[in-house]
Amino acid sequence: MVNNMAKGLGIVMFSGTADCFIPLGVLTQTAANLGVPVRVFVTGFALPYFTKNKPEPRFPKEFEDMVPAVHKGLEKMKAPSWYDMLKEAKEVGDVKVYVCSLMAGVVGVEKGDMDPIVDDVVGATFFMQETADYEIIFI
Amino acid sequence: MAVIRVDARGMACPGPISALTKAYRKAKNGDILEVLATDPGFKPDVQAWVKRTGNELTELTEEKDYIKASIKVTAKKT
Repeated sequence: MVNNMAKGLGIVMFSGTADCFIPLGVLTQTAANLGVPVRVFVTGFALPYFTKNKPEPRFPKEFEDMVPAVHKGLEKMKAPSWYDMLKEAKEVGDVKVYVCSLMAGVVGVEKGDMDPIVDDVVGATFFMQETADYEIIFI
Repeated sequence: MAVIRVDARGMACPGPISALTKAYRKAKNGDILEVLATDPGFKPDVQAWVKRTGNELTELTEEKDYIKASIKVTAKKT
């Protein structure tokens, strides 16, 4: 690393809609490509998509009319899924995915229910400490 | 010294830089990474990647149907 950049990137992944999973994948993979460590904290409505029985993310109702064109465009560009981008980012970089312990309790899932992409179920304190010197974004 | 070709044509952002990063992990100092891409963001992206990683961009040209970047690997820790 030769230029100034944040020591890492923290991403609080809250939204459970498909449009928000695209930037999660793109930003995480890009940061990993640049050698920037990433810590993802999964909470809120995003949590079910990080379990073994994950549903397919849905687009928000207000953008419903745009969905066919977006799907077509993604297919045409052969864009990888958010999950594949996250998986690849973990292969090339220092990327960890943590699930919020509070929200896990709220939706009734435990560590054993998580998708293999999840590194651990942690509290907010752990995430804040891990990302103390990082830029944090909220999706 | 080896020339390693990375054909990232048809890949969308951040695919070409991911392909470059993967090839870079296996490369040695002195190697040349020759990347071909069609993503319109590739030119500024590869310049940013080089700036970040400290390697040397020796060529960045726009051909008819693709962009070509040549990067000399210089920043690998030995």
